[in-house]
Amino acid sequence: MLKKLIFTPILFTMVLVTALSTSLMVNANDEVNVYSYRQPFLVKPLFEKFTEQSGIKVNVVFAKKGMAERLAREGKHSPADILLTTDISRLIELQDKKLLQVVDSTNIFTAIPRQYRAEDNTWFALTTRVRNIYSAKRLGKIELNYEDLADEKYKGRICTRSGKHPYNVALVASMIAEHGEAKTLTWLEKVQSNLARKPQGSDRAQVQAIHQKLCDISLGNSYYFGKMLKDVNQKQWADGVYINFPNQANRGAHVNISGMAMAKYAPNAKNAKALMEFLVSKPAQSMYAETNMEYPVRVDVKPSALVASWGAFNADVLPLETIAEHRKLALKLLDKSKFDL
Amino acid sequence: MSDLLEIHQLSVKLQNKVILSDVELSLQAGDILGLVGPSGCGKTTLLNVIAGFIEPCSGQLTIGKEIKVSADNMIAPEHRNIGMIFQGYALFPHLTVEANIRFGIDKLSKQEQAKRIDPLLDLLKLGELTQRYPHELSGGQQQRVAIARALAPQPKLLLLDEPFSNIDARLRNELMIEIRQLLKHLNMTAIFVTHNKDEVFTFADKIAVMHQGNILQTGLPSAVCKQPGSWQVADFLQLGSWLPVVVQVLEQSNSLISAIGDFVLEKTPLKNDPIAEVHSDSIEIEEFIAGSNQNESLQLLIKPQFIELCKSDAPANVQVEHISITEQGYHYLLSSLSRDNCLKFDQLSFYTDVLLTIGQQIKIAIKSHDFVVFSNINP
Amino acid sequence: MAPVLVMLFGGISASTELFTHLWQTVLPDYIANTLLLGVLVVLLSLIFGVTAAAIIFHTNVIGKNSLRWLLMLPLAMPAYLVAYLYTDLFDYAGPIQRALREWFSWQSPADYWFFDIRTLPGAALILSLVLFPYVYMLARTAFEQQDQTLLKASRTLGLSAQQSFFKIALPLARPAIAVAASLVLMETLADFATVQYFSVNTLTTAIYDTWLGYGDLAAANALASVLMLFILFAVIAEQKARAGQRHQSHSPDKNHEVALLNTVQQVFACGFCWLLAIGGFILPFSLLIIMALEYSDVEQLIALLPTGKNSLEVAFYAATITSFIALVLGLYRRMCRDRWRTLPQQISGFGYAIPGTVLAMAMLATFGPLDHWINNLAEIAGMQEPGLILSGSIFGIIFAFVVRFAAIANGTIESGINQIPHSVDFAPPSLGAGLAKTLHKVHIPLLKPSILVAWLLVFVEAMKELPAVLLLRPFNFETLSTQIYQLISDEMLEQGALGAILIVLFGLLPIIFLNKNNEKKNNKNIEENT
Repeated sequence: MLKKLIFTPILFTMVLVTALSTSLMVNANDEVNVYSYRQPFLVKPLFEKFTEQSGIKVNVVFAKKGMAERLAREGKHSPADILLTTDISRLIELQDKKLLQVVDSTNIFTAIPRQYRAEDNTWFALTTRVRNIYSAKRLGKIELNYEDLADEKYKGRICTRSGKHPYNVALVASMIAEHGEAKTLTWLEKVQSNLARKPQGSDRAQVQAIHQKLCDISLGNSYYFGKMLKDVNQKQWADGVYINFPNQANRGAHVNISGMAMAKYAPNAKNAKALMEFLVSKPAQSMYAETNMEYPVRVDVKPSALVASWGAFNADVLPLETIAEHRKLALKLLDKSKFDL
Repeated sequence: MSDLLEIHQLSVKLQNKVILSDVELSLQAGDILGLVGPSGCGKTTLLNVIAGFIEPCSGQLTIGKEIKVSADNMIAPEHRNIGMIFQGYALFPHLTVEANIRFGIDKLSKQEQAKRIDPLLDLLKLGELTQRYPHELSGGQQQRVAIARALAPQPKLLLLDEPFSNIDARLRNELMIEIRQLLKHLNMTAIFVTHNKDEVFTFADKIAVMHQGNILQTGLPSAVCKQPGSWQVADFLQLGSWLPVVVQVLEQSNSLISAIGDFVLEKTPLKNDPIAEVHSDSIEIEEFIAGSNQNESLQLLIKPQFIELCKSDAPANVQVEHISITEQGYHYLLSSLSRDNCLKFDQLSFYTDVLLTIGQQIKIAIKSHDFVVFSNINP
Repeated sequence: MAPVLVMLFGGISASTELFTHLWQTVLPDYIANTLLLGVLVVLLSLIFGVTAAAIIFHTNVIGKNSLRWLLMLPLAMPAYLVAYLYTDLFDYAGPIQRALREWFSWQSPADYWFFDIRTLPGAALILSLVLFPYVYMLARTAFEQQDQTLLKASRTLGLSAQQSFFKIALPLARPAIAVAASLVLMETLADFATVQYFSVNTLTTAIYDTWLGYGDLAAANALASVLMLFILFAVIAEQKARAGQRHQSHSPDKNHEVALLNTVQQVFACGFCWLLAIGGFILPFSLLIIMALEYSDVEQLIALLPTGKNSLEVAFYAATITSFIALVLGLYRRMCRDRWRTLPQQISGFGYAIPGTVLAMAMLATFGPLDHWINNLAEIAGMQEPGLILSGSIFGIIFAFVVRFAAIANGTIESGINQIPHSVDFAPPSLGAGLAKTLHKVHIPLLKPSILVAWLLVFVEAMKELPAVLLLRPFNFETLSTQIYQLISDEMLEQGALGAILIVLFGLLPIIFLNKNNEKKNNKNIEENT
């Protein structure tokens, strides 16, 4: 009797599983499956356009955490074709775990400059974004380097989001590449002591804090500035700050990428390649530029007028792989300096 | 000796229902009062009013000299210096026996506590159980702990709510005697509530019978048994069985006519019966002599000891309906042979050593005694 | 249960190098924060919950009938939502501080002092506001079921109503309160989203750091195991502390007297309860409604319907399966005599203490290989490969929910089973009924209310649960919580207000039902007693 009791739920779940999974199986041929670190509403218009052009349906699942794990666990049965990410480290992580496959496409090669794709052509950047320093207009126009954030005169005047956020970790990694471990740690400790408040919120919240006179200087990605200017409520925040491109007199501003890659066991490789080629095409790159305010990787596609109005800048030429390489050390230094505590 | 407890015109309403109305009660120090009545009669409510858990809506309640409670002068239970033993004993399950007993006196010094607890532990034979938890004790042990706990603060008045109802019948009598002796030894005044009249006779000095929110009769148990004040008292105390009768008024004498024969009332016996005069539902003899109640069905209380079995050759008047065996011999329930008039009966209790069979028809007679008659409505 | 074991084994292989680093840097702070947060939240929840339960049950506080159920409503609010709303409200840039600045014409933070919501005490306060109903509910039920003669006995022994409460009612309610406290503790320790909004770093932060930052899943598993052991320790310590006590009562007297409060006490009691109800539910819910009115329209509502349907579906399956398993485990424990009969039930309860994402990872680790095995089998058999039928479908999500919420269903059903007298177990066999018939005809009908309660509680929790769905869901599969989360993480909750309201409303239904059920029971008791 008890055996029966225990077997009933098992039987029950089995029936359920088959019922559910058959209804959800993705097997059709005119589809492409995307695992996205990017939020759906950012990439949705692009996918819609792609489907319109090619007739290939795009399925998306979005998650900020654990995508790589999921892909690894799924192994050769994974339904994923394409991965979209917002940080170089995640691409490198996928590459290191051998979860990607080489994509051979002249369309893509010609569109993307050498430094914005993997040497083995497993991953490709789609857009670039600058880690800017925002400063309150009340300070007047000032030239700032990342190194200046450690200056004692900014004590209690700097705001930032969590140091552990991938954007900040990448910045710290670039500092390690430039100055070495010891100096970067000192820098981190000094920046930490200059903070007006514990790291919190998003990049936009820091600009808002400047607007509220909570602090004078903050770190933030470039496209947020454009998005704030276009938002009715947030425009007043953005109006109160200058967007500064740091280190223009020396190595240039730190740049990160958003990118794409094809999964090693992609079941719809052909469709996936088509989607990738679409994403680096001129119309798609323009859409990235216009709607997301990012810098397109294609040299022949101009940034949006608004973004262009912030002026040209020199980007740090440090290879992206180097940044990814220093990432763990950067995390350790952030831990050591107790940046978030 | 002055009264320790006095209750005067006490009434209680709960959710607009009258639970107690105009209760009168007094109790002398050192007396044990047994409060009996059918369930739902308000006896537990009365106990709760005395303890202070229910507020009276009118009337007074005086305990000792200091505690004077009325509707507008409520005194909290903790300030009444009353001990109470609950039906399920209400021992604190998270405390040991010792901590339970100590509970009411833990503000006293350690020596003082020991001085009070040690004799109680001795008297109640709890000395070896002090570190146990209540659930590890037998029913009798639990009750002794409850008593020790209630007595430790040396209350003026002890209230016991159905204290013996959870005790094994065999042990009950023994325990009652034991506890009664203890209370007498301590000269404790106590009220205990029960629905079992036998407990009252064993345990109490005085009895009070309650019915529908009233105290019908108070007095010594023997007096109450002898002269029940109302049909309800006699019925609840199961003093005997009921024999339907009618009164026949004749010139020389009056008689009571029943299914088993007529009883001549040579004098007017009921007139001298104080109860007959005092209580409204017993019959004023003058009244039925006057003939106004003639032919009305009345109930005559017949105690078993007044029934005798006539010789077997006499014409039968009753039939045996049920037989049981008791320590007093055989117990029979008898029914009248005539079935079609207002005088028929079927549950007359009768004890005898003679063995009869079911359905056997016999003749019985009632010995002459002071008749107690009630104009009862629904026997 | 399997995923928990997989997690534990995964933890064993963790490298010590990373631990040494963490230990030398941030881990002590994280652990201190975790302990402090746990202690604070449990303490505050106890203060809130027990006080509220005592006020509602033992006094004549004004508005008692409304407060009785209003105080349960915060359960329907997902903690991450409340956290977001409150940080927004009390932040320097939030409306309250802005209004204050305008009012007093302050210029900068240096001009005045205002409490900082993004601190550990702030996080503890908000978490307690959302979690205290567990304590309130269980404590109130415990008070209601206590034998009131015990309190009467204490009064006749010279203790005031207040003293009696502290010396009798409270210690007797301790088992129930301890269960509630352990639920609160588990929720707190497993929480990630909420503490993140408050920028409070706890052990969960460390788990995510090691996993996502350092890419060391083994170390993350090890940390999660440490977290679980920590909870286990707390629970066992509590159980040990009250060993030897057993509570019994022959025929509990449910008639209780209500303490009459004077004006000052009334103001305090009333104020306390209403503040809790407002802080935990009314205020955040009103904020959501205001947002929804401002930003949403009917079209948005219609667009939400399929998402809502997904949420309902997942929650429905999860609740049904969890309740069913809990029922089987509970009956197994009751009916079987072997020594380890309590074990499956206890172990299955630990899932509640594991952060959702970590659990999701464990799920992948458990079902991934199984999926591969099934596919290989299909390949050998020459059939079409079924794909990832376990880890890549809703099955994964539902299973994760079942693991995570087993503790809730187990507790509820177990307490229901304990209320069935043991004599009932033996009566039907004596009448010739077999075990199956006994269970079917006797136990299950008797347990119906508990099963329903368990089902509803799991249903609400599943509606709110986020991280596990986020990671395990199949393509194009959105639930209300994932949608809200995405909007929140982009600081656009305004757009998601409608969905949030739906979650809360679905959460309200069972709570209202629970309350109705409870009241019916109480009325019955009162009738029986008069």
